[in-house]
Amino acid sequence: MRLLSLASLATLLLSPALAQDAQAPAGDIKNGEKHYISDGCYQCHGVGGNGAALTGPRLSRTEFPYEAFINQLRHPGSDMPPYEASIVPDQVVADIYAYVKNLPPSRPAKDIPLLMGMGVK
Amino acid sequence: MADTGKLDRRGFLKGAVIASGASIAVEAHAQSGAPAQPKAAKAPLPTAAQHAAENDTPSELAPLTTTKTGSDFMVDVCKTLNLDYMASCPGSTFRGLQESFINYGQNKKPEWLTCLHEEVSVGMAHGYAKVAGKPMAAMMHGTVGTQHAAMAIFNAWCDRVPIMLFTASAGPVEDRRPGVEWMHSVQDGAATVRDFIKWDDYPWSLQSFAESTARAYSLATAQPPAPVLITADGKLQEMPLDAKASEKLTIPKLNIGTQTVADPNALRDVARMLVAAQNPVIIADRYARSQAGMDNLVKLAEALQAPVIDLQNRMNMPTTHYLCHSARSAALVGQADCILSLEPVDLYGQLNRVTDQLERTSRRKAKADVKIISISTHDLMVRANYQDFQRYSAADISITADAEATLPFLIEAVLKESGARRSDFEARGQKLREAYKGIADRARADAAITFDSTPISGARLFAELWNIVKNDDWAFLTSNNYVGNWQHRLWPMEKHYQYIGSSGGSGVGYEPVAALGAALAHRDAGGRLPIAVIGDGNFNMAPTTLWTAAHHKIPYLAIIQNNRAYHQEVMHIQRMANRHNRGVENAVIGTTITDPNIDYAKLAQGYGAVGIGPITDPKDLADALKKGVAAVKAGEPVLIDIVMQPRG
Ligand code: HEC
Repeated sequence: MRLLSLASLATLLLSPALAQDAQAPAGDIKNGEKHYISDGCYQCHGVGGNGAALTGPRLSRTEFPYEAFINQLRHPGSDMPPYEASIVPDQVVADIYAYVKNLPPSRPAKDIPLLMGMGVK
Repeated sequence: MADTGKLDRRGFLKGAVIASGASIAVEAHAQSGAPAQPKAAKAPLPTAAQHAAENDTPSELAPLTTTKTGSDFMVDVCKTLNLDYMASCPGSTFRGLQESFINYGQNKKPEWLTCLHEEVSVGMAHGYAKVAGKPMAAMMHGTVGTQHAAMAIFNAWCDRVPIMLFTASAGPVEDRRPGVEWMHSVQDGAATVRDFIKWDDYPWSLQSFAESTARAYSLATAQPPAPVLITADGKLQEMPLDAKASEKLTIPKLNIGTQTVADPNALRDVARMLVAAQNPVIIADRYARSQAGMDNLVKLAEALQAPVIDLQNRMNMPTTHYLCHSARSAALVGQADCILSLEPVDLYGQLNRVTDQLERTSRRKAKADVKIISISTHDLMVRANYQDFQRYSAADISITADAEATLPFLIEAVLKESGARRSDFEARGQKLREAYKGIADRARADAAITFDSTPISGARLFAELWNIVKNDDWAFLTSNNYVGNWQHRLWPMEKHYQYIGSSGGSGVGYEPVAALGAALAHRDAGGRLPIAVIGDGNFNMAPTTLWTAAHHKIPYLAIIQNNRAYHQEVMHIQRMANRHNRGVENAVIGTTITDPNIDYAKLAQGYGAVGIGPITDPKDLADALKKGVAAVKAGEPVLIDIVMQPRG
């Protein structure tokens, strides 16, 4: 079961046809933002989708194609809890996807003097 | 009572004289083991109760004061242990000792510290020892105080930190006042915590108190170190001690042993294995307890040109060294053909992982044929009940010895064996230098992602903080795991005292209490700026630490990572709800700390510390930190409440 889902995720990520946002159903960004919090994505991926070292990777402006994104929710690869469709319907996933995909970009490190000034060079 | 008849005052006094003579005779017999035979007394003897009923005043002849007691001698014993502090929340079972420490002992070495909970007394001793490099003492009230302290003792046990623990008990049954003294008396004072202390004793004489306390200290500090516990009997504490009895007592010389070192043959095999490896990796876990330990790890890594993964249970490897590759842990463990693990807390976990799904699966992180070497005192202190020993994992060479004391000999063995491989090592070192350069760049790129986030991120906090304290002699009092470990990713951590690892037992409440004790040790070292980042859930277990800090003038910066939750548990409940397909919106029930939000700054002010916040806008952070740091430099304990991301 787990192997299958990992294999299918790999196919999805590698398939050029699917690696396009055009495949994503239209999503409601506002509703996505609401569900990003109420469905608990924020707990591990941070408020604003910025990720946290110990708990979950960055989702803001995700490079995941939609199919891979929804597949991660339905059949998470390792430690993320699974979200079934009865709990987070496909449309809500599309909304969350639209929300995280359209979050504003963060500034690059080189434009943040405080970061460039930090300790280890 | 009724048939004893009334005693007139003269008759009573006569009886009392005979009674006191009789009691001496009884004691003498009791010591010789013969049955007690009181000298014949003509008049019936009044009991204490009868006397009180008759008179309401103590006997004029019974001695009511004394100049020296058993507890004074106990203080003399403790003064030979080089203890700077005794922390306690007061309790009647040790009233004799407390009075002796503060008056007879002049409240110096050790100085008595007031805590408002026994978990604070013990937890502060835990943090203190990791900075001071020596134990301090904590005193716990009989039964109830030890129960309060149990979790803090467990944390110190798991973290392998020495603490001199004392508890007390009222004396023998015939001396106990009815009621509370019985509640606080105990047959076996250590039973509550014996599973997680190294040694304990209930000495029944002052001489045995002296010997047991000395033994306890030397056992506590022998590697692997751990808390030890002495129960001070109430009768021994309070009994008068005349000159003759004092003369007979001796305080033994303290026995501080050298630590266990690996045997030379095993070390030669280890050196050969490491030298032969193409991709050796050193993992340092609860390894360094001193600057020398850090310096030797650098020497070993350089001798091999091998990368070091610092698992940060201690300050092991300078983050500025090109062989410090903690951030590349997954890749390095995966590629390694030989792993040297120094004082692993969990060797199995270093090599494998287990998923947290409905069906748990495990996966090997390291190659199947990787050669494993472990040097550790782990096996010298394993108990049956509590499972902190972790899953069994065999090594190819398993050395039971103190890794810090062993390292100089291992370095020597490696240098001896590595002649022919020097140029290979240099080439490996060159590659590692290159790889090291990318580590900080990646960390900065990661930090940039969350830099402007609201709630405030750990990356922003550590960047702003660095800007303010970079010219100070700063030191962290907490692990900062839940705020992203940015000090290890982006700060130049080079001194052993700059970081003390984490709780050991993951008992929530460690952060505020250990921070207090560690800050005390930094204060005594002089000129340091101690900084703690404490989760709001953790802080709520021991907010009274701020009162002790204010009272005893222990300055430090306590930053509250306020995510308004026991967030680890939010995630656990979310995981269960997902797994059971029961909706995902209720994980906040029983896990979050909102409605009402707690005003931590006010709480701090109430305890006499400086309180700043809540800070919600990242733009206000610099100003709050500046104010806080200035107040710490002026000698104040300071709390800054920062509303932050749940993690990182
Ligand atoms: C309890 C923690 C947790 C929660 C809650 C959670 N995730 Fe995750 N997520 C993870 C972890 C950990 C990973 C890393 C891969 C893995 O373990 O499966 C991950 C990976 C992902 C990925 C793949 C991203 C990548 O770069 O690898 C996506 C997409 C994702 N999560 C979306 C979501 C969404 C959307 C939600 C809410 C509906 C959510 N997650 C809730 C922990 C969590």
